[in-house]
Amino acid sequence: MYSAQITRANPTCIILLIDQSGSMGDPFSGDSARKKSDFVAEVVNHTLHDLVIRCTKTEEVRNYYHVSVIGYGRSVGSCFSGELGGRPIVPIAHVADYPLQVKSSYKRVSDGGGGWVEIPVRYPVWIHPAADGKTPMCEALTRVQEILRGWLLEHPRGFPPTVLHLTDGESSDGDPNEIGRQIMSLGTDDGTVLLFNCHISTRRSAKIEYPTEETSLPDGFARTLFDISSRLPTNFLAAAAQLGVNALEGSRGFVFNGDPSSIVQFYEIGTSLTGMTPYRWMDDRTEPA
Amino acid sequence: MSSAKQSTTWDLQLRQLLLPKLDQEASECEDAIAIDTQTCRFAVADGATEAFDARNWAERLAQHWVQRKSTLTLEEFREWVAAEGRELHDSWNGLTLSWYSEEKARKGSFAALVGVELDLKNESASWKAIALGDTCLLHCRKGTLVKSLPLKCSESFNSAPVLVASDSSLHETSMQSVVTDSGICQAGDVLLLLSDAAASWCLQRFENKDLDVPEFLSVKSDEELQEFFDTERMAGRIRNDDLAIVRIEIKRSKS
Repeated sequence: MYSAQITRANPTCIILLIDQSGSMGDPFSGDSARKKSDFVAEVVNHTLHDLVIRCTKTEEVRNYYHVSVIGYGRSVGSCFSGELGGRPIVPIAHVADYPLQVKSSYKRVSDGGGGWVEIPVRYPVWIHPAADGKTPMCEALTRVQEILRGWLLEHPRGFPPTVLHLTDGESSDGDPNEIGRQIMSLGTDDGTVLLFNCHISTRRSAKIEYPTEETSLPDGFARTLFDISSRLPTNFLAAAAQLGVNALEGSRGFVFNGDPSSIVQFYEIGTSLTGMTPYRWMDDRTEPA
Repeated sequence: MSSAKQSTTWDLQLRQLLLPKLDQEASECEDAIAIDTQTCRFAVADGATEAFDARNWAERLAQHWVQRKSTLTLEEFREWVAAEGRELHDSWNGLTLSWYSEEKARKGSFAALVGVELDLKNESASWKAIALGDTCLLHCRKGTLVKSLPLKCSESFNSAPVLVASDSSLHETSMQSVVTDSGICQAGDVLLLLSDAAASWCLQRFENKDLDVPEFLSVKSDEELQEFFDTERMAGRIRNDDLAIVRIEIKRSKS
């Protein structure tokens, strides 16, 4: 299971589910300058950039992935706008062709001979930060389930879909356990849907990353998210190990009280799929800050 | 299958097979084979699927390597790769690229390469080889494995080998993984040059002792081999990857 080769004939599906409730406009603890919503939007844009680059074959983007970005807060729906607006799930080649804007900048990298050179880089933007309203997690997960059901009807074979859910608070519209379990029961011939959850906190509480059992969790909400988090398949464990993350056999795709670095790693591990080398957030050659 | 007389003492019997991934066209194959019986050089390169212009880089490396008369030491190899990389990058100048192609091109291209040069001028036949990545040379004698490089066993293959980068700023570390080696051949010896999926499968056959691969690659027709490798890849016994196989049998000259 979780070993199918991802091809154009058998693509996989990646859904990024983002909490955009009002509290996401608060800063991370200890970093009053940075709103959670700003950081998450930046990480999601980097993740989409990475997925596009992985599928780029010289001048063509191959549709190995179908991607959805769903936000929930004042409303529930796709975070894509512009040309991609109104479409719940889109092939990665369309994501590549329709960013809202492409920012240009320069960064310094090693020239290989002990010096540094400045090279141009592109930062495409697909989603903007949003933080408004309550936390309708159940409605959002129900929307995800609808998207998955439709997609799985057309793609019953191949690597199963991955849902990466990020939230900073408890559901405001009921217990997400039942709908979460329903999502985790869907799947392809290569395994059930992978639902991973990352909870981020403004409190200075100890973070818990990729636990194997719920006894270490502090409260009922944490245990609920643990219950609806899939076990990390072997390939994802290998990706976690490459990033220096301590995940074990039986670890759930679950982070509680995560900080900014947890978010970055969560998306890197969650999109590592069939054991591909996880995307390095910054090039190894980039000048250290 | 072709034969080439190399000297009064030695002949070569050559065979090559290049197959794209199961769901892809031949034009999408990123493995490359190059054979030059004049220089007595043979190479297999495997362009990294995720790299920019990987097919072109693999073909360039293989074809240009067999045409050279040196590049068998690390220093020569490093200098040569840097020049090839510059030419590749120059060929991209003037292209109007989308943001994603531009980003991909910025990281350069990557490929695995193994090249072997035979010396058949004397009574004693020998080879010298250079390799970086997971394309392999296997030296076989009477159905057994004499030597394998750069990887020694089927378990050594993983998804992130160190490759030949077109961007020379990466060579400081990557060139540390270059492997050079040499060997003495006897009449009837077979050298196999293989891209990673074929090499992994082949080494496993030697480890399990369940198939005489050099013999198998000799007696089967092209159609039979293609059918066999398609079936194995479909069944998942060989990873669905491009396959490049060069079989070189060293024989005593008849005249």
